[in-house]
Amino acid sequence: MKKFLLFFFLFASFKILAQETFPVNGVADKNHNYYAFTNATIYIDYKTKLENASLLIRDGKIVDAGKDISLPKSTIVYDLKGKYIYPSLIDIYSNYGEPPVPKETLPQIRKPQMERTTKGAFGWNQAIKPETDAVQTFTVDKKAAEELRKLGFGSVLTSQMDGIARGTAAFVSLGDESENEMVISGKAAALYSFSKGSSTQDYPSSLMGAIALIRQSYLDAQWYKQSKNKPEFNISLDAWNNIQSLPQIFEVIDWQSALRADKIGDEFGVQYIIKGNGDEYRRINEIKKTNAQFIIPLDFPEAYDVEDPYNAMLVSLAEMKHWELAPANPASLEKNSIEFSLTAYGLKNKQNFWKNLRKAIEYGLSEETALKSLTYNPAKMLGLENQIGSLKKGMSANFIITSSNLFDEKNIIYENWVKGIPYNITDWDVVDIRGNYDLTVGGRTYKLSIEGGINKPKAILTYDTTKISANLTMMRKLVSLSFDDKNVSGVTRLSGTILENPIVIKGSGQLGNGDWVEWKAIYVSSAKPEKKKPEEKKPLQLGDVIYPFQAYGRKEEPGKPKDILIKNADVWTCEKEGILKNTDVYLKDGKIYKIGKNLSPEKNDVEIINAAGLRLTPGIIDEHSHMAISGGVNEGTQASSAEVRIGDVINSEDINIYRALAGGVIAAQLLHGSANPIGGQSGIVKLRWGKTPEEMKIKTAPGFIKFALGENVKQSNWGDLVRERFPQTRMGVEQVYVDYFTRAREYENRWNEYNLLPASEKAKVSPPRRDLELETIDEILNKKRFITCHSYVQSEINMLMKVAERFRFRVNTFTHILEGYKVADKMKAHGAGGSTFSDWWDYKFEVYEAIPYNAAIMHDEGVTVAINSDDPEMGRRLNQEAGKSVKYGGIPEEEALKFITINPAKLLHLDDRMGSIKVGKDADVVLWTDDPLSIYAKVVKTIVDGIVYFDAGESEKMAAEIQKERARLISKMIEEKKKGSEVQKPVKKEQIIYNCDTIVDNYMNAL
Amino acid sequence: MKTIKITLIILLSLSVQKVYSQKPVPAPAETESILLVGGTAHIGNGTVIENSYIGFDKGKIILAADADKGKVDRSKFAKVIDVKGKQIYPGFILPNTTLGLVEIEAVRATQDFAEVGSLNPNVRSLIAYDTDSKVIPTVRDNGVLIAQVAPLSGIISGSSSIFNLDGWNWEDAILKADDGIHLNWQNITVLTGRFTGKPELKKNEKYDEYVNTVKKFLADAKAYSEEKEHKEKNLKFEAMSGLFDGTKNLYIHEDNVREIQEAVNIAKEAGVKKIVLVGGADAWMITDFLKENNIPVLVKRDHSLPPYPESDVYLPYKLPYLLVKAGLLVGLDMSGNMEAMNGRNLPFLAGTAAAYGLSKEEALKTITSNTAKILGIEGRAGTLEAGKDATLFVSDGDALDMKTNHVEMAFIQGKSLDLRNEQKELYHRYMHKYGLE
Repeated sequence: MKKFLLFFFLFASFKILAQETFPVNGVADKNHNYYAFTNATIYIDYKTKLENASLLIRDGKIVDAGKDISLPKSTIVYDLKGKYIYPSLIDIYSNYGEPPVPKETLPQIRKPQMERTTKGAFGWNQAIKPETDAVQTFTVDKKAAEELRKLGFGSVLTSQMDGIARGTAAFVSLGDESENEMVISGKAAALYSFSKGSSTQDYPSSLMGAIALIRQSYLDAQWYKQSKNKPEFNISLDAWNNIQSLPQIFEVIDWQSALRADKIGDEFGVQYIIKGNGDEYRRINEIKKTNAQFIIPLDFPEAYDVEDPYNAMLVSLAEMKHWELAPANPASLEKNSIEFSLTAYGLKNKQNFWKNLRKAIEYGLSEETALKSLTYNPAKMLGLENQIGSLKKGMSANFIITSSNLFDEKNIIYENWVKGIPYNITDWDVVDIRGNYDLTVGGRTYKLSIEGGINKPKAILTYDTTKISANLTMMRKLVSLSFDDKNVSGVTRLSGTILENPIVIKGSGQLGNGDWVEWKAIYVSSAKPEKKKPEEKKPLQLGDVIYPFQAYGRKEEPGKPKDILIKNADVWTCEKEGILKNTDVYLKDGKIYKIGKNLSPEKNDVEIINAAGLRLTPGIIDEHSHMAISGGVNEGTQASSAEVRIGDVINSEDINIYRALAGGVIAAQLLHGSANPIGGQSGIVKLRWGKTPEEMKIKTAPGFIKFALGENVKQSNWGDLVRERFPQTRMGVEQVYVDYFTRAREYENRWNEYNLLPASEKAKVSPPRRDLELETIDEILNKKRFITCHSYVQSEINMLMKVAERFRFRVNTFTHILEGYKVADKMKAHGAGGSTFSDWWDYKFEVYEAIPYNAAIMHDEGVTVAINSDDPEMGRRLNQEAGKSVKYGGIPEEEALKFITINPAKLLHLDDRMGSIKVGKDADVVLWTDDPLSIYAKVVKTIVDGIVYFDAGESEKMAAEIQKERARLISKMIEEKKKGSEVQKPVKKEQIIYNCDTIVDNYMNAL
Repeated sequence: MKTIKITLIILLSLSVQKVYSQKPVPAPAETESILLVGGTAHIGNGTVIENSYIGFDKGKIILAADADKGKVDRSKFAKVIDVKGKQIYPGFILPNTTLGLVEIEAVRATQDFAEVGSLNPNVRSLIAYDTDSKVIPTVRDNGVLIAQVAPLSGIISGSSSIFNLDGWNWEDAILKADDGIHLNWQNITVLTGRFTGKPELKKNEKYDEYVNTVKKFLADAKAYSEEKEHKEKNLKFEAMSGLFDGTKNLYIHEDNVREIQEAVNIAKEAGVKKIVLVGGADAWMITDFLKENNIPVLVKRDHSLPPYPESDVYLPYKLPYLLVKAGLLVGLDMSGNMEAMNGRNLPFLAGTAAAYGLSKEEALKTITSNTAKILGIEGRAGTLEAGKDATLFVSDGDALDMKTNHVEMAFIQGKSLDLRNEQKELYHRYMHKYGLE
């Protein structure tokens, strides 16, 4: 034990990693000694534990490890009896040693920035910077390195975390030597995210824009690679192509975005390693299906300070549950055999790393997987598992020496060896001086007991029975002790050294009066055994994961539809049969199976609903909704954003889905906003509450795209600074359309010409560039995608129809269409439908002539009319909005109901399977207490695909359960606070309710 | 359908007479007494007379009787109208609205509801109320015949006044001038990050300062009001003085539970006599407190989303019921998005309250008699009782339900209203164009 070295003093002689190419100042100081660590418990790798084994290293590499290994003569041997050796930990998500990302705070209202501001032969978008090469900006940061080494880390992957394509990351050791020696791999991985970071360029202004930008970048890079005579030189595309062979890491901020990233990867043949956010447990099955490896943070949320009941209201159920379940996330990944690495990145306080890791283990993560996720897995993800992460012959001598099992609560990390160089963390040659002593000084004898940690002992001093506060410090074998004995004037200050066997501490010191004296403390008895609090290991009790992870989520994901027989309802069919009184509707396998009188169940487990006195209608379809969307609803930064897709950013966890179900809505077209003439592609979903975004989509729905006209697209109400983007007038709007349709046709021609070339000719030319924007617009020309166009005044409505006719297609739907009544005859002739508000007007100049009779006039003139919401509040009262058509214009009730059922289904080309109660159609029905258009009608049940997604009775029970679950979590959090844990202030996260003209500044915050 | 057509014919004949104008002409002074016979009268105090006589003369209701319980001498009335099968209601009252203070929300030149400065009790909606707003006739058309027009913005946004929704000018239309002062309470938490896409409620660092400002202003105004004559007048304090002798209401606009309690405590301590809570989304949590302090509530638009994801999905719909059940005096308020235009949907807020807990007649009170009591005009409006203004209308069906709300005739202080509006004109114009009429 005692011959151990004072490592810091020997530091220089460990410098074995000479910089070969550098001139030497002084004499060459090469050290090729062997170092051996014997009698230790060694984890050769995460699963191989050897007792009484030895590790031999030289020149920063492992020479051998195991039992009975022979030691060359020039070996310095350390006896590690009772101690442990582990491969040092690896963190593959950090920005260690990288300069901070510049942060510009932009004014809220500013002029548009359509182009990049950074100069050079880069790509067009400032957020795509694959040319970023972290190794070029990497510098050793001794302070940060020490902090990480203290935790046991020996190497990290480091990158500039800025932008969507973030370039390459370097893999570096955490030593204090020169950068040349510390970099293990200059380009170890390529990094991506959905965040545009410090880019001030307007595009992308939404998550869907970021996704489109990544997709287009893949295509551009492919095109660039294939181009024979490159029409441009492009540093970014060049770099993009060059880094494709590296491991590709994609940072996301929740599980939904993990799936989004994986989908992009699937499209372009890339399997990303996904840096997740710790909420993967919420949809572990989908996470598993990505086949991705994950990098998972350990920054579990602190409990909320919820002692005040009103404050507690600010914390959502989802946040409370996440607090409880986050530590179980690693265990959940392990249980599902998902390979992952852990990262300390994101921990506000790095000291919490071990606390949180132990918590994760307490919550079910096995120690083996914990170790694997910090050693072997990160190395393997970078393809470096033969160099680092284990202690095998030839591998890097990166290891830590610990007092006990790494995961033990009392474990101490003594040393962290980085590439064969030791870094002392905790002295290990410490004498245990804890015990009771007789201290004699200046003729008085005190009782001294030394307690506390072995490295940080504390003194308790008494004279007779009087306690005297004392201060003890220890540095290896030097001890100093000071105390203020009230019976002696002034402070007594002593210093001395430790003698062992038996322990005596002696030396000299000064009394308060300045006299020098000798002193001595003689060991009398051992210290009181440390009070071991009987750790009551309460069995871990965790709440359920719910689907969706939100209030009114259920404990099970929606399963298969049950067969349901609805008896004796008044059935509003929205078919030519009209209203069928006292009729039964039989739902089977998610379809409407039979309609008739006195139907009986055909098997045992058919759920029978007695609907006597109730009305059954087709489920409501909202033609125009912006609920359930993540990361912004507008990519309005350019006149056209045809390339963006709402389908990429559906948010299955939005409470407004459930609220809409509570209003009888079963499906919605989720539309891009109206900030530009050509918006984005729609997501058409059924409100399958509890399913994933992909599962919510109606697979057979045709493609739709949002167009917009009027004040929003010409930015009339955006202030005087926003006057640059074309168009600013209705005249310009027309030209945007004509231009894009012209270019789309030319684009198609270009491809046709190319595709028709014989193979031999094809080989000689470069293929045209695939352009997601023009491709989408070309689909409109080819009648494969349909337009829903936000519109107000008659001139512009007429204009778009004329443009469409010129390009030989039809505008499918005008939405809002508040002056549709003025051109209903033209719409009818053109074949456009109208999806309108019932009675909105007067909120801006272009709706000053909007009238609530609009729906009625268009309908009477023969236009297919729908009533839509554009608003999640009104979206759950669409039946009432349709009811207003009875009032304004005298539409018969049965017809008015069609405005929210079969008509929107027709406008969405879904009427073959939705929108009415007809045998063979989807079992999407709603039971009401009253005539469906009445203000008094309340929803009893909303059934989608034969599954009851909303049930008024169940909903009340769920509300009670939510209250119970919150109460449980609140008392658990209060308990946590009492234990002295840090708590966070409750802050209510408000939801941004999107409508057509919602613009968010930082879409990453709006997920 | 039939009744609609009949209505249309009446309307068309009207419009033939007055083709020169799209705007309805303010009703001429009432010259004759009228008796409505046979209608179902919703008195507005909870009672219904299935087969009623409603008679009025010189602008006042003089008779509200059950026809099944005794005959009335019809000859005493200059005009007898058979309204059998139809519904009669007192004119609905729309409180706390910017109707008439704004024409088009997004057009700045038409906005007259927010004055510069934070303490503006002396600023009066009274003289800015535009009787010629195109919006007013569309609101009236659904049975809303009285509105309390209030400014917004700042701490004290100004003084509201109550108008009959008919008249050549604001002087004509006044029902009650300067009825109350509107105090917008601030929240302990403040919404940040709305534009960065990360909206969060964070601690409002200015809240204490705000509270002190209000306290001091109330104390100063009270002290000022103790003295009758002032050599140098303070217009702001003058405007406030009615709060301390009970001639004006203090409308406290607030939704949150803690702030409501604080605001009421402070106003009471300052000596404010009559307090009305406007908004009150959280009021259901402190009904005892409100009752003990005798605070009526103008409940914010029940057509709202619940405040929390965890809230009962129908909580806003149920809110009027929860407060009425607890014994509070409750009226309904439409303020919020597009509030001027949405004034016409006030009846349906009551319809929703009826669907979710209240009886239909109780729900009706929340837009008639209750609101009248809260606004201090119960002697003039809110019920079909003798002595009140003859401000009432006849609907073909249940006026709280959109599918049956068809106002066929309406009277303000006995004057028969011209129910045309520009929206109807446009409707007919285009029905005519398409040959659909």
